[in-house]
Amino acid sequence: MEDGKKGLDIFGLIKSVLFTDFVKGLVITLGYNVSRSITLRYPDTEKWIPYRRWRGMHTLNKDANGRELCVACELCSRACPTQCITVIPMEDATGRGIADRVAKVWKVDLVRCLFCGFCEDACPTTAVRLGREYELACHDLSCTVKEREGLLKPQPVPESFEGGVVVGARFVRTPGGISVVADLSKSRKRAL
Amino acid sequence: MTPVLHGISILTDSPTVVSARAGALEFLLANHALDCPVCDKAGECELQDMVHKYGPHKGRHTEKKFKFHEKDYALSPVIIKNSNRCVQCIKCARVCREVVGVNVLAAIGRGDHQEETSFFKTQLDCDHCGNCIEVCPVGCFMRLPYRYKARPWDLKGADTVCAYCATGCRMVMEHRDGTVLRARAQYGVGVNSETLCARGRFGFDYINSPERLTTPHVNRYGKLEAATWVEAFDYIKESLMGVSGDEFGGIVSPRYTNEEAYLFQKLVRDVFKSANVDSTSRWEASGVEAFAAAAGMNEGGVSVFDCMEADTVVVIGAQISDENPVTDYIIRRISAARKMNVIIVSPRAMKLDSSANLLLRVAPGAEGAVLNAVALSLVPDKTGGYAQTADIAKDMIDALVAKLKASASVAIIAGTEFLRHPESCAGLGFLKDSLKSSGKKVLILPALDRCNQRGVWEMGAHPGFGPGYAGVEKRGKGTHEMLEAAMDGGITSMYAAGVDIVSMFPDAQFAQKALMRLKFLIVQDTFMTETAKMAHVVLPGATFAEKEGFYTNQEGRAQIIRSLLPPPGKAKRDFDVIKAVGEIFDTGFGPKNPALALDEMRKTNPMYRDASLAFNNKRNVDNKLDIKAALVKAADAAPPSVKCAPAAIAPKDDKYQFALMTGNHLFHSGMLSKRSVSLTGLLNSAVVEICPEDAVFYGLKPGAKVIVKGAHYEAVMTLTVRPGSKRGVAFIAENYQDCPVNRFFKKGAGTPQVAIRPCS
Amino acid sequence: MDKVLLKKLGDPEAHKIDNYVKAGGYKALGMALKMPPDNIIQAVKDSGLRGRGGAGFSTGLKWSFIPKDPTIKKFLCCNADEGEPGTFKDRGIIDWDPHLLIEGMIIASYAIGAAKSYIYIRGEFALGAARLDAAIKEAYAKGYLGPNVMGTGFNHDMFVHRGFGAYICGEETALLESIEGFRAQPRKKPPFPALAGLYSKPTVINNVETLSCIPAIIERGAKWFSSIGPEKSPGPKIFCVSGHVKKPGLYELPMGTTLREIIFNHAGGMLTEKPLKAVIPGGVSAPMLTEKDLDTSMDFDSLAAKGTMLGSGAVVVMDSSACMVKTAYIINRFFSHESCGKCTPCRDGTPWLTNILMRLEHGEGKQGDVELLEGLCANIFGRTFCPLGDGAVMALRGALKNFRNEFEYHAKTGRCLG
Repeated sequence: MEDGKKGLDIFGLIKSVLFTDFVKGLVITLGYNVSRSITLRYPDTEKWIPYRRWRGMHTLNKDANGRELCVACELCSRACPTQCITVIPMEDATGRGIADRVAKVWKVDLVRCLFCGFCEDACPTTAVRLGREYELACHDLSCTVKEREGLLKPQPVPESFEGGVVVGARFVRTPGGISVVADLSKSRKRAL
Repeated sequence: MTPVLHGISILTDSPTVVSARAGALEFLLANHALDCPVCDKAGECELQDMVHKYGPHKGRHTEKKFKFHEKDYALSPVIIKNSNRCVQCIKCARVCREVVGVNVLAAIGRGDHQEETSFFKTQLDCDHCGNCIEVCPVGCFMRLPYRYKARPWDLKGADTVCAYCATGCRMVMEHRDGTVLRARAQYGVGVNSETLCARGRFGFDYINSPERLTTPHVNRYGKLEAATWVEAFDYIKESLMGVSGDEFGGIVSPRYTNEEAYLFQKLVRDVFKSANVDSTSRWEASGVEAFAAAAGMNEGGVSVFDCMEADTVVVIGAQISDENPVTDYIIRRISAARKMNVIIVSPRAMKLDSSANLLLRVAPGAEGAVLNAVALSLVPDKTGGYAQTADIAKDMIDALVAKLKASASVAIIAGTEFLRHPESCAGLGFLKDSLKSSGKKVLILPALDRCNQRGVWEMGAHPGFGPGYAGVEKRGKGTHEMLEAAMDGGITSMYAAGVDIVSMFPDAQFAQKALMRLKFLIVQDTFMTETAKMAHVVLPGATFAEKEGFYTNQEGRAQIIRSLLPPPGKAKRDFDVIKAVGEIFDTGFGPKNPALALDEMRKTNPMYRDASLAFNNKRNVDNKLDIKAALVKAADAAPPSVKCAPAAIAPKDDKYQFALMTGNHLFHSGMLSKRSVSLTGLLNSAVVEICPEDAVFYGLKPGAKVIVKGAHYEAVMTLTVRPGSKRGVAFIAENYQDCPVNRFFKKGAGTPQVAIRPCS
Repeated sequence: MDKVLLKKLGDPEAHKIDNYVKAGGYKALGMALKMPPDNIIQAVKDSGLRGRGGAGFSTGLKWSFIPKDPTIKKFLCCNADEGEPGTFKDRGIIDWDPHLLIEGMIIASYAIGAAKSYIYIRGEFALGAARLDAAIKEAYAKGYLGPNVMGTGFNHDMFVHRGFGAYICGEETALLESIEGFRAQPRKKPPFPALAGLYSKPTVINNVETLSCIPAIIERGAKWFSSIGPEKSPGPKIFCVSGHVKKPGLYELPMGTTLREIIFNHAGGMLTEKPLKAVIPGGVSAPMLTEKDLDTSMDFDSLAAKGTMLGSGAVVVMDSSACMVKTAYIINRFFSHESCGKCTPCRDGTPWLTNILMRLEHGEGKQGDVELLEGLCANIFGRTFCPLGDGAVMALRGALKNFRNEFEYHAKTGRCLG
């Protein structure tokens, strides 16, 4: 090492004459020019669909006959560490639910929710699942409380969809607000 | 089964015990529905807790379960049943037979198909007390009003005392987000332990009634309009300024706490300088004095459990199974467990008759005559006093006397008939004295029908005596005299705190007329009652679930009630209202809060000086239900002795075949319970009750509509029969709004007579 | 040996009182009524008579537990609720010789000082109940019952109480509950019926066969009785032989006759060429025995030593065509149907056992079912008020002990072995 320091740096000289560093940099830059882009063109044309294990907004499920699985046992609200779930049961013999006990009120305050999934674990009928909806931002607090009626609607990404892909999407502006509508038929693996 | 012997060692966690316990629990779960997420009991289920603590944590049962039925079925308007969850402990049937005594539940079927239910699973015709629900360890018997409303962990509760009859049952009231959802009793707490009656268990829902008064009302140009407190107080100030002395009268409800009653009588006596204070609109003030003296209420509290240790218990003048159901349970339970006499003297049959070994059916109001005759027979020299008891056979009196003579100790449970017929009180006092003089131990337990009736008397809310039965300088007017004075202008202003005079005074027309003549009437209540509609100012008060204080039950047991909720809307606690009214005229009026009132009361009233409130809200250790420290002590003074003249006996009129009796129905208490949806669901419209023999004799059909005609009023109601009652007695409870029984009464005319004929 | 209990079997006129008296009936009663009651109890004690209902408790000893105080009311109950599958011995006595039972009961009542006695008869025994009713009426007419029995000043009334088809009523305390008008469920013991039985009064409950032995003991003496059969459990015994034998039926033989003698000498041997596979020696709750135990003497103690019991003496013989799983299933189904519902292990355990056995029998068994059966048996046995749950477990355990391979084969293949 001592010698190298004292001797003439011929290689360094050649390098600087031939602009090798510059060329190296250029190669990387040019390489990115021709490689596939990793940028997600969200929300205009693309959207990331998370894996099934993702814990997003709650969804209330129904069974094959369209009956609500929720029996309003209140175990989810009991298990919730932030007390963001409110359940008030009622009796309903019309067959709305799988038992004659159904939820009169089932609401979750998403601002307080920390998406831990305890409610999902506690649920004895697999009625509550944390879905794959993650676009939860909105303009006022009122829309952060999600009610039973909304949660019972099937979420845009069905349970059967594998996830972990980028799909085509469309940015929609309506008087009610904005949304990014995914097109699950067009999907691609996200390049890393 | 191993008998306990001296020196035996009992293992509770040996390997055998552990495995047997887990095995039994596994078997219980094998045929259990395991629908915990749906079941209302989940969270406080004994089976859940047991399995969690001792059970096998892995189930081996994979077979198909036996199902009794798919859907839960209602056994009564308040009880719903799911037999699939039953663990066959038969506690329900046992409590029904052994404690409540109605015996409508039993097991049908055998083995694992055994189902504890009613005969043919039909709707129960029972007391609807719901004790089967309370003892059920699983979710087999459930409250229908509480069905699918909440989980136990949602409920916030407060220990309190039932505010219907004066048995003083301790219970826990629980609410979810301001709606009271259930009342339950706790094992080993209070005189009642885990039993309650239909009223206590289901009759609380008036607390959340939308009809509750939430703002003060002021009469403007002949119409009651909502107003602010300031407006109401201003109106009171300008109307009552200068009114004092005998022109003013105040009546306080026997459902008010002791602190409130104490403050109220202070308000009337000290602020308005009036002696006219009373606590009930139903009976005469002199009758109260006579009863209190005869029953020895000034001698301190008498525990019902002490009474049940006597050799003979005489229940007289009390429809105890209907008016004080839990006292009835206590008598039934203890009298079945030990050898003792239970003697019932009453005109109407009652459930407790089955526990009695001597029954005397007497005419309404004849209790005093019977007691006189008995007392005369006890005194050796004076036999032959039977002439006045023409109605009752001599051999029955002799049988009663024989039983009393053979007993070393006698307890008399004397009920409200003595207050309706105050002339009977002399007989009670006479019997007590003659039993005492023949060397027997005598206890008298007054059986009252309002939760704090005894307390408000002891607080001095009575024209004849002050706190602790202390004498008063000048005797005031009771309700009866007040209304008379109002008629001729002697009283111009009245303050009715929690009492509905028009509905309860035994002559509705008279009460209405008298109140119309008042220049100023303040009514403080929780609902817009008939009396409140006539008021100039209506002040919204609070129910027992919304205030702090303590009640004194019929035994003289001081028990704390705790506030569960704030009063609705702008309503205030009654203590604060009374204090505010006092402060209008005297800024120094106080005590300023219930705690200070208790202090002052303890200082001035010797009965309450040492009465302990410490045990309240605590579980009684070793299941001793009877804590004597809470009983009030003897007073320094005695109620003034009053001689009550026999009430005028209406001349027997052939047009009217029945003597009319009144009192509380099993499902109702006063007019308050009519606001409860659950209780009105059990019984809504008026019924008249006679004995089956009379029904056959007069060609009346049970269940049919009949016309009940008195001299002053006539009403259509449903006929029911009660086997075993005395002939010629008709009973209409005082609780029906559709036909207030007090309209049959005429002031000063004694027991009214009625005729019953089929409705054509 | 001349017959004591079944001598009238098959005689269509024997149930009438005249024929009974002609044949020497009610002689023992006359003798007994002249003896002091204590001497009768002593005689029964000396005879060594043991209860024929199943438990084999000394009858004289049982009677001697009854308080002697004449002011206390006492009762005698005859347990004629014969409901165990395979048992039909009491019917033989009741139908053909009702006066023998009545005479025995009057003597027993006199010995213990009971003024009233009850015959609790199984509801299905219509003929027996009718014959007993008629016989009691005859006995009243002749002065053997009613006030002043045979002019001795002893008063006695007898009643027939018909059950309603519940096996549990054969359990003595459940029987008492049933007579009192309650749900037939066993009571907790102690207090034993001898101190607080029917209507909380001292009560003796004896089997039909036991009581029917009494006249003979009085008439011929305790010594004669104890000379029959082994020393520890003497006397004649009725064996009800059923199953794969040529001549099933009732056989009155001395106690201690061997199984081999009963099956091959008296019952005519096996029905077909197939060899004997198992014998239930004393009603379906008794664990079964196999070929190698055939020389066991049929008495209380010898069978107990073999891990089974004499019970009611119902000998059920099975040849090699019988599937032990199916047998166990049928026996268990009976017990689960008859469980009264009082104790959890029996109420919920026996249906569970039945369900598992049903699955095994239908070929839907699973690995581990046999172990599960054994585990459940352990959780039921000894944890119930009365022996019904124990009986179910003992039967199943007996089958499992001797034929475990059959159960395992069923669980594995879903078919019968062989």
